[in-house]
Amino acid sequence: MGSPDPLVFSLQHFCLHDGPGIRSLVFFKGCPLRCPWCQNVESWKVSPEVAFKPGLCISCGTCVEACPEHAVTAVGRRDASRCRLCFTCVERCPSGAMTLIGKQLSPEEVMETLRPEFPLLKDSGGGVTFTGGEPTLFPDFAARLAGLLRAEGIDVAMETCGLFDHESLQPLLNKLHLVLFDIKIHDPGRHRNICGADNDAIKRNLKSLAEAMHRHEGPVVWPRLPLVPAMTDGQDNIRGWAGFLRGLGLSRLTVVPYHPMGSGKRRWLGLPDGPALRTHTDTEIEHIEELFTEEGIRAYKPGEEDFPPHERCPATHRGANDEP
Amino acid sequence: MATPQRTATAPDEGFSPPTERIAAIRAELLSTPYSICLERPRLLEQFWKSHQGRLSSRTEHPLVHRAMALQYLFSRRRPRIYENELIIGNMTSKRIAANYYIEGGSINILEDLARMGKRTVPLRLSVPETFELLGIGLRNTFRSVGAKALLRPSRISSFLDFFRAKRHFITEEAGVAHQVGNYRMVVREGLRHPYEEAGKRLQEGRLADGSTLDANQIAFYRSVRLTIDGIRKMAENLAAEAERMAASPGVSGQRRAELLASAQACRRVPFEPARTYHEGLQAVWIVHMAMNLEDFEQGLSFGRMDQILLDLYRRDVEQARLTPGQATEMTASFCLKACETMPLYSQRVDRFFSGIGVAQAFTLGGTDGEGNDVTNELSGLILDAYAQILTREPAVHVRIHPGTPEWFLHKSVELLQLGTSRPSMFGDTAVVRALEEAGMTREHARDYAVIGCVEMASQGRTYNSSDAALFNLPLCLELALNGGARFHGKARIEGKRRFGAATMPVDAMKTFDDVLEAFRAQVRNGVDDLVKVIGWLEEVYRTTRPTPVNSILTEGCLESGRDVTWGGGLYDYTSIQAAGLADAGDSLYALKKVVFDERRFSLPEFVGILKDNFRGREALRVELVTKLPRYGNGDPEADRMTQLAADAFADALLAHRNTRGGRYVPGFYSMTCHIGFGRVTGALPNGRAAGHRLSNGLAPSDGSEHLGPTAVLRSAASLDSRKWMNCCALNLKFDSRVIGGRTGRNALASLFRDYFSRGGMQVQVNVLDPETLKEAKRDPASHPGIVVRVAGYCAYFNDLQPDVQDEIIERTAHGIA
Repeated sequence: MGSPDPLVFSLQHFCLHDGPGIRSLVFFKGCPLRCPWCQNVESWKVSPEVAFKPGLCISCGTCVEACPEHAVTAVGRRDASRCRLCFTCVERCPSGAMTLIGKQLSPEEVMETLRPEFPLLKDSGGGVTFTGGEPTLFPDFAARLAGLLRAEGIDVAMETCGLFDHESLQPLLNKLHLVLFDIKIHDPGRHRNICGADNDAIKRNLKSLAEAMHRHEGPVVWPRLPLVPAMTDGQDNIRGWAGFLRGLGLSRLTVVPYHPMGSGKRRWLGLPDGPALRTHTDTEIEHIEELFTEEGIRAYKPGEEDFPPHERCPATHRGANDEP
Repeated sequence: MATPQRTATAPDEGFSPPTERIAAIRAELLSTPYSICLERPRLLEQFWKSHQGRLSSRTEHPLVHRAMALQYLFSRRRPRIYENELIIGNMTSKRIAANYYIEGGSINILEDLARMGKRTVPLRLSVPETFELLGIGLRNTFRSVGAKALLRPSRISSFLDFFRAKRHFITEEAGVAHQVGNYRMVVREGLRHPYEEAGKRLQEGRLADGSTLDANQIAFYRSVRLTIDGIRKMAENLAAEAERMAASPGVSGQRRAELLASAQACRRVPFEPARTYHEGLQAVWIVHMAMNLEDFEQGLSFGRMDQILLDLYRRDVEQARLTPGQATEMTASFCLKACETMPLYSQRVDRFFSGIGVAQAFTLGGTDGEGNDVTNELSGLILDAYAQILTREPAVHVRIHPGTPEWFLHKSVELLQLGTSRPSMFGDTAVVRALEEAGMTREHARDYAVIGCVEMASQGRTYNSSDAALFNLPLCLELALNGGARFHGKARIEGKRRFGAATMPVDAMKTFDDVLEAFRAQVRNGVDDLVKVIGWLEEVYRTTRPTPVNSILTEGCLESGRDVTWGGGLYDYTSIQAAGLADAGDSLYALKKVVFDERRFSLPEFVGILKDNFRGREALRVELVTKLPRYGNGDPEADRMTQLAADAFADALLAHRNTRGGRYVPGFYSMTCHIGFGRVTGALPNGRAAGHRLSNGLAPSDGSEHLGPTAVLRSAASLDSRKWMNCCALNLKFDSRVIGGRTGRNALASLFRDYFSRGGMQVQVNVLDPETLKEAKRDPASHPGIVVRVAGYCAYFNDLQPDVQDEIIERTAHGIA
């Protein structure tokens, strides 16, 4: 076995904006980037974490009493240096305010949880989407799970930040029909400063995926741009990406407007608040979409994409016959 | 069999906007204040005082006396025709008003007499009218069916039980109504058919089978003739009024032509068969008015209009008398007529039935008697017509089966996306199975139409007192855990009297089965009490308030010579609905787990905690709510307990027959009774605190949906619904931002297909934006027209009680985190 097995921090059903049809989402824990606008900060670390959700807490003090390390010093206050991650507090918390983020599940266990949804996923032209965090951190596990899903006729898509080792990913890519590929900041320096890593590899990977797609040897690759005020919404960034996509023969992308719905999660984990970001108005979003159009790239709203149907992608057929 | 065809508006093209005419009628209705119509009680009192009335009450059979009263009422009420409308016939003497039913439960409105304008739903009434209302109420206190049945010394405790509405709410006291009449006969054969049939029976003195008529049967056939005479006169009066208006100066040429067309229609129908689509609609409307004036307004439904009117529609279109656009406008005008009526509930009663729903229902799509799909272009056209008005009435229901064409399901979902929670969806497979189980032939079961919210009838063949009572199911568990007494009964009112049956004391209970048996015994006891009281009501209906109009529209009556209240209907049922099903099921699960499996508490200890309403045990309460498996998450163990609770109720009911010989059958919906019942129900083992609302219909209990709508639907579909003849209501609420657009439409369509293929019976969806609702609650004027689905019916959000509004806002919005 090459890559380590992941923790899964959530399984969500009836999702409509992460690929075609009705989809179930598998969230992998761990991400190589640290984008400041991230709405899933609980996905950053690969290791399990304890989150405290103050809204659910009834201040009963059970966690304080229960902690064998006396790391929970008061309700809602945990000394991370003393915590040995035994999760006694999570087990004993009656309200679910103390929550474990990240569970070890085998591919078979994930399959069991997803299986009741299969008829609906098939009927709606949907499937399962791997997301996170970053599924590509766990290529072996992801390929195994994708193989099991494909064996039962379930379409598999993946959302990625694009920072991965292409070669080790090939077995997984063979089983995917669609890769939703996040692009963020085009300028390398800014990307490094804001997201915490270079974007060379990301651009390289997008290029290889696009080329494989054009050769009908890989999954459909569909770029998505999170639209974040003052970070990704500048004209330069838009034009930069538009030119880059055009150069790869890509003519479509999804623009995902920023919404601060996950901001509370930082506090669950004791992280400092993220930057205060506003949301774009509808007019601003339209303006950005028009900019892309001018550049020859069609911009879609989430959930309105016309993804090619499964059978149009030869890679998935080839992948289906692969060994899981 | 009709081939499915594309409708006037193709599915992907959206809905067309209303015509100017329809927009004008709608705007007028939306800006009209609600009131109470006193014409009906006035005319009835006049009749009772008249020579004919006094004489007939002494010398005639009650059926004949009643028919004379109805004839008097129908023929003397003043016709009113409003601007722009294409279908004529006024429900009441005012534009929008509740009828006051002396014989029904209207007297409850006197509780609000001093604050008519300040109610949640204000009623505009002039000072003289208010005094007249008071007079009518007081003069006729003992004329209501409820008073006649219950205000006797030996029945006073049942009366108090009824009035306090803790164990149950007996709706049948207000009337039976709830009917899908035989409008097929009205349209195709006209009332001439029953009129002549009754004449023939009277002339021959025999039934069709040759047996001699007895006095009751003679009276019945006379009541049919008298009633139809009254309906004819009502139609003629309308025609005369239309002619008068057409002749008055200043009427435009176009309006004059419309009025004359209406007059011509009313001179013909409903006595003669309808020849055109217009006459068909007009015939149905006049008979529908008669139904409303006879009993009371609740649940009087139109049935399968897309089947009944299809031939007329096609002929009109083929012969170029009518375009699909004109038909849509005419249908929209018909639908708007349904907004003219409303129920009369006092604030106290409104808590149980908030939202002034009447639920005059269309049922669209489905199959013929052989199971072939009969969805047609008219099914789509009626959806188009409703999409142009989006008002609180009428109700729209669609039947979904494996052969339902995709365009129709998609169009239905697109209508849902407009945010009025219409249509609600019914799964033919499960519904037909339950109707067959309840004794219908397969062919008749397949001809089902929805009564009002969700209840069931084989159209034109069924007398189903479908909303006879609502039953507080979790209270039975409270009683079972306290030897038949409530945890905290008010001793002064209830005395030392046990509330329920004397079941085993808790300290003697050794196993979970002991608890379950006590629960079942309490359910049986509660049902027995209900059946007894309903029996008294049935007797009063039979002897003093029969319903000849309803009998004319129900197969079986003309054949047997018996009124529906005498058991004349081909199929006869009384239906009682359970509220709080999931709370009962989850509580059984929690009890078993915590007390009998894990043995964390002894049963008396745990019951002590419940009696204290978890005081000082908040951690335990929250743990019970959050950590135990519950119905609604696709967990078979938890779902099984909800099935046990449902079966306890169904079995208790199925053991009974009503006094007409019909079966008692269960339904699982709660109107807003889950809120009213919740206030008087103690803490429950599943962690629900005392006083909190109960779970609603077939929905999971509050805070239980952890896995989203697909799991809720799986759990609901996994329940065995074969005994649920009167159906169920499953509310799902979606955030409009999540399920909008074509993606949302396709997803919902798949979701419904999957649910019904698993055996789902019914589902209704609120597509709403919580922010909009909060705004509407803060500032009612900002969103006057928001329609939400409360239980099985739709209401304007502004008409709801504040706590019902809160529930709608809070109910999990199924979005994506």
